[in-house]
Amino acid sequence: MDETLPLNENQNNSSNNNENNEKKSLSTFGKILNSLKSYFSKPSNIILVVFAIILAITVLIPLVYLLYNTVTIHIGEERLGDVGALTLDHWAKIFSEKKFNYAVNAFYLPLKNSVLMAIVACIISVCIGGGIAWLITRSDFPAKKFISLVFVFPYIMPSWSIAMFWENFFKNTGLEGIQAQMGMLQSLTGIITPANLVYGFWPCAICLGIHYAPFAYILIGGILRNMDANLEEAATILKASRFKILYRITLPIVMPALLSTVLLVFASSVSSYTVPAFLGTKGGLITLSLKMRQLISSPQYKGQGYVLATILMLFSIIILMINQFVTNSRRSFTTVTGKSSQVSLVKLGKVGKPVITALVIFYAAFFAIVPLISFALESFLEVSGNYSTFTTYYWTTTEVTNTYIQNSVGILHNKEIWSAFLNSLLLSGACALIAGTCGILIGYGTAKRRGSKLANFVSNVAFLPYLIPAMSFATIYLIISYTPTFGFLNGSLLLLIIVGSVKFLPFASRSGTNAMLQLSNEIEEAAVIVGVPWWKRMTRVLFPIQKSSFISGYLLPFVSCMRELTLFVLLTGSGTILTAVLENYEKYDCTQISNGINLIIIVSVLAINLLVNKLTGASIDKGVGG
Amino acid sequence: MPEIILENVTKRWGKFVGVDNLNMVIKDRGFVTLLGPSGCGKTTTLRMIAGLETPTSGRIIIDGVTVFDSEKGINISPAKRNVGFLFQNYALWPHMTVYQNIAFGLENLKWKKEDIKKRVDELLKMLKIEEFVARYPSELSGGQQQRVAIARTLAPNPKVLFMDEPLSNLDAKLRLEMRTELKRLHNETNSTFVYVTHDQLEAMTLATEVCLMKNGILQQYDPPLTVYAKPNNLFVADFVGNPAMNFIDAKATKREDGTYSVIFAGVETIFTPNEDFELPSENVVLGVRPEYIEIAKKGIKAKVYSTLPAGMETTVKINVNDDILTSVVFGIIDYAVDEKVHFDFKGNGIILFDKETSNRLVDGSLAIAKK
Repeated sequence: MDETLPLNENQNNSSNNNENNEKKSLSTFGKILNSLKSYFSKPSNIILVVFAIILAITVLIPLVYLLYNTVTIHIGEERLGDVGALTLDHWAKIFSEKKFNYAVNAFYLPLKNSVLMAIVACIISVCIGGGIAWLITRSDFPAKKFISLVFVFPYIMPSWSIAMFWENFFKNTGLEGIQAQMGMLQSLTGIITPANLVYGFWPCAICLGIHYAPFAYILIGGILRNMDANLEEAATILKASRFKILYRITLPIVMPALLSTVLLVFASSVSSYTVPAFLGTKGGLITLSLKMRQLISSPQYKGQGYVLATILMLFSIIILMINQFVTNSRRSFTTVTGKSSQVSLVKLGKVGKPVITALVIFYAAFFAIVPLISFALESFLEVSGNYSTFTTYYWTTTEVTNTYIQNSVGILHNKEIWSAFLNSLLLSGACALIAGTCGILIGYGTAKRRGSKLANFVSNVAFLPYLIPAMSFATIYLIISYTPTFGFLNGSLLLLIIVGSVKFLPFASRSGTNAMLQLSNEIEEAAVIVGVPWWKRMTRVLFPIQKSSFISGYLLPFVSCMRELTLFVLLTGSGTILTAVLENYEKYDCTQISNGINLIIIVSVLAINLLVNKLTGASIDKGVGG
Repeated sequence: MPEIILENVTKRWGKFVGVDNLNMVIKDRGFVTLLGPSGCGKTTTLRMIAGLETPTSGRIIIDGVTVFDSEKGINISPAKRNVGFLFQNYALWPHMTVYQNIAFGLENLKWKKEDIKKRVDELLKMLKIEEFVARYPSELSGGQQQRVAIARTLAPNPKVLFMDEPLSNLDAKLRLEMRTELKRLHNETNSTFVYVTHDQLEAMTLATEVCLMKNGILQQYDPPLTVYAKPNNLFVADFVGNPAMNFIDAKATKREDGTYSVIFAGVETIFTPNEDFELPSENVVLGVRPEYIEIAKKGIKAKVYSTLPAGMETTVKINVNDDILTSVVFGIIDYAVDEKVHFDFKGNGIILFDKETSNRLVDGSLAIAKK
């Protein structure tokens, strides 16, 4: 603005006065042109401007559009007035309809359930993940390699896997109706678990907690690893006890990371759809996300569903703001990234060591390896839980196994399953490619122009999709695909690719930014001086140096996409991608086939993850932890 | 009183030897610097004495108390060794104010609130950081952070103070200033200081004793001026002193009158040792400090290679039959490149090293043989 102002003044003057002023005005104009030219001669500026526009279109405008849809009348809601007219009825109904306790059942009760579930999940994941992170970075715990490999499995697996495993393990004949099947625990020991530990609030919260524990481990472990051990040693020398060091030095310093973890786990849990869908509904638990899907799928209540989507999103935006506030505080914890060369490890003691080791290994094995075995076994059992009914029928048959599902033949002959598998791979590959590349570019732009308003805007908006609940995010794009202009997107793979790329961009942009920040400017400048063009600098200099970090930025969106259901389920038919097929089989209680599909998803994700890890050194924790 | 004794202390990581069989006694109220190039094991030594690192074998005694003994399995925790430790990167706690940082150690000693306040105020005054008392470390400059770190370390009045390159992160001017402060502090606090540095000038100017290490092996442990005047071997001679000592390959043979004929670069000189010694072989290295080479009217012919005037003194590099020697002359002299000059040796601090073992044989004076 400052630059354009003098221009106007000069033009006014020149019309009144002599040539001299005209010359001046021209030179001012030229000045602006020149400064624009020099601004855009830097690739980082071009990247930032381009992404600011792209992100505004893909993230911000949809958000506004969603908001708009909460106050309009849709087709099917004609009872409220003309289609397309404005109304506050959706908001009013959700917040204050007293008839039949509507507001309570549609909003307040699900809200309470969701929030409580998220809080419990947070506590579980931070305690377990943080504990393991401390054991691995700060103590003489043995088997570190094994645990750090296996412990992240539950995070790599689809979020419902733990839920499915929970069901497989704990279900029993003591339950009512169709759910009265024998689970692993009962068939091995005969123990019958009470119903509210199989389905409902607690199983949901625990499964979410276990799913996000590795995430907490990666974040907190990253900070502990980078935290200068001298800070703790200084306290040791000043005679502080172990306990005092932990709560006066270590905890306050990792607090921002801890808080970030809590907030991110909270944001993910509160909007989680799959886990409550597996374990909640059967136990009568209704959460915001479940209610939202129910409302959106029913034509008469779409508007109210959008209101719930908006509320879920508000949660996330508030969380993002709290997170910003915490990390920007005066005490600035940036000093944390010192070198931490010579760490003296805490001795766990003669009794503690074997006990803790056994517990941790048991936990890791139970939630990382046993689920795989359980999925494999269940897909081979005619009667669930009864190991004498072993059969390969559900893998090999060409008969229809479920009358509700067309062509529900054995997995190996099931064309639908395999084409969905291919689609999933294609979708994940495309999303990973787009998100990963954009992430690197955004990382480059923000790292080069660190601290500028534009860079902050881009990096914040690029992170926003992470906090928008998958359900809300999908909803937004669903509405857009209903509009005539974008009707061609409806139900297409392209829509899924766009949604997936934007949703998982945060992972890529985070790891891209971290990787770029670690590179000193001189490395690129050395290439600039000898006249290497930008494209070559990126591919020949910067990328090879931070190869493993960048590839992690591709890996994470890939893995997330492969296992994602919530995001895609609204946007696609039941046969397009593998997770949607899985949900369909699960809905009609084809436990064998749904377990088999789940096994395919997990094994392929783990295999690709391990392969990439072996080949390039990239890994999930590098992508998240930075 | 706190005397620190190290007996056969060794630290190994797998096959790599960090510190090899180190024996030394650090005297009460001494100011000992551990000096050496990076990776020579000096920080490891310091951390082992403080208890932050566990030696592979050996024994460490502080103030008569065995704090580590590999044979008896004794290993007292750093908290119980009554030492202070100043870290290279200061390790100030980012979430605590300057006051809280300094008071933390005193709180652990269960001091009364008023006493803590009094002591902290005293330290703030001593280190001239009163106005920063409510700030967080990230709001301080490097020099201020360093003073806070010193205050925090000094707060509980440790009798032994370990410092790990505390000045290496400061700019040159501030470093000089802090050196003076440290030396005063050593007098005022009556404590034993052990100080790690790779800066030989810092070691020379601060220490009462210098411990020079190379690849984990102790090279020399003497007062700084002894280390300067009588270095044990070529490594020590080369490491200490700036500009570095001249080393001249030469052949020595004993003469009848007890002096030695030393021939280098086609020049014959007579070396008169200060004491008797055995010459193991004729291959020797002459060690001549730059201040013992005098540019004179007569003497050995040479050409000026380059002149580096620094104001107070001038470093002149001269070419003697393609050997480059360094001479330091007091005052400002400027020679043209390739100007013909003569030089001579002076003083009786010229050292003869054995070429094979690189150990010092003897020192003495050198004169040009009359033809």
